[in-house]
Amino acid sequence: MKYDVVIVGAGPAGSVTGRFAAEAGAKVLIVERRQEIGVPVLCGEGISRKIDDWGMLEGKKWIASTMDGARIYSPDGTMVTLSAELAGNETGYVVHRDIFDQELARQAAKAGVKIMLNTTATELLKDKDKIKGVKAKHFDEEFEIEADIVVGADGVESRIGKWAGINTTLKPEDLETCCQYTLTNIDCKDAYCDFYLGKKIAPGGYIWVFPKGKDAANVGIGILASLSESGMAKKLLDDFISKDPRLKNGAPLRFLAGAVPVANPVETVRDNLLLIGDAARQVDPITGGGLTHCLEGGKIAGETIGKAIESQDFSKEMLFEYETRWKEAFGKKIKRNYMVKEILLDMEDKTLNMLADSLKDFKFEEISTLGLIKALVLKHPTLLMKLRPLMKVTKET
Amino acid sequence: MGKPKAKVDKMKCLACGGCISVCPQDALSMYGGRAFVEDEKCISCAICIRICPIGAVSGEVY
Repeated sequence: MKYDVVIVGAGPAGSVTGRFAAEAGAKVLIVERRQEIGVPVLCGEGISRKIDDWGMLEGKKWIASTMDGARIYSPDGTMVTLSAELAGNETGYVVHRDIFDQELARQAAKAGVKIMLNTTATELLKDKDKIKGVKAKHFDEEFEIEADIVVGADGVESRIGKWAGINTTLKPEDLETCCQYTLTNIDCKDAYCDFYLGKKIAPGGYIWVFPKGKDAANVGIGILASLSESGMAKKLLDDFISKDPRLKNGAPLRFLAGAVPVANPVETVRDNLLLIGDAARQVDPITGGGLTHCLEGGKIAGETIGKAIESQDFSKEMLFEYETRWKEAFGKKIKRNYMVKEILLDMEDKTLNMLADSLKDFKFEEISTLGLIKALVLKHPTLLMKLRPLMKVTKET
Repeated sequence: MGKPKAKVDKMKCLACGGCISVCPQDALSMYGGRAFVEDEKCISCAICIRICPIGAVSGEVY
């Protein structure tokens, strides 16, 4: 088997990269180890509505709910509201990730991408040091897939990068360990995404309640892996649900575990290879959100691959255009928010309560982490000392 | 007796991949839809045990 591009992983990053590479003329194969694209869902399922402008998804079946805003609860329950109506801008969707992922894969297939399921990449195919494709296993059958470019879109557990000599091993302080229920038989009184903070609630992370319609929600927890003990995420989530009047009578439709990188950006290109999505640690270290990055980065990667195929130049230098463009598009934001993550982790619960109290009646100009950070700096100029390196980065973005 | 090495309970594991991403020895991989430990590579650091959200990884002395 010989392709221009072999992509390992049919999540959003892999499918979008494949689609844009194929549209640019490349012959693309995506291999996926699972038996169904998008299943199991490993996600809180929230995404910004800025994807509307990108036109990458057709129809509306992948939308579970359109959000009117977000509420953040500090450890003592003080509520900070970010309302779309007040801010005058749009917030986001809660999506059905299985349908969402399948819609992106459908778009890739429409562009001419081939997809193989139940197919695990076992190692890189190399000629001396040169990457020539991947070795793969489909049930009991082992075979080689030759390709000029290998794309590692193989998620948080990515090993493609390691095989190519890129150190992608996460430190426990750079991983959120998560689990989540889809709960039904609950009353989602409004279309707000709720976030609950506190060292006793979710150390180094948060609990989320994202409504999916009027009577169901994605309810989950992420805790910082360095603060975790065996099974702690599930215990804390179960404890929270059992004490929450809105959730305690809910019935689970689905239970899942997840893992989210909250790290600084890594190198993403080598000769004949690039990394994307969770495999490239392209996740906002504050929110743990990565879907928009997959879509934005996938388009950039696909376009860069198209140019490489056209010029038949697959060198790191050629592929570096992808790294330059994604770091400009959202890599700087990740770097800035990594610094904010470290500042937040140092804060005691009482500091978070104080900050929440000062923001409880604040009128936010934009519903985003940047909007929150701006408000904090405005309200607490003394915080500026700590945030000084951060604001320098903010000015650039 | 050696130090306990990581062992994944196949009945519990939900294949989130967290343990694979933090293993400093690349001793874990996804196999048959579950995390799998190559015990000759495991150095008994126990990071994977502590970070498992559902307690599916434990230590076992061979």
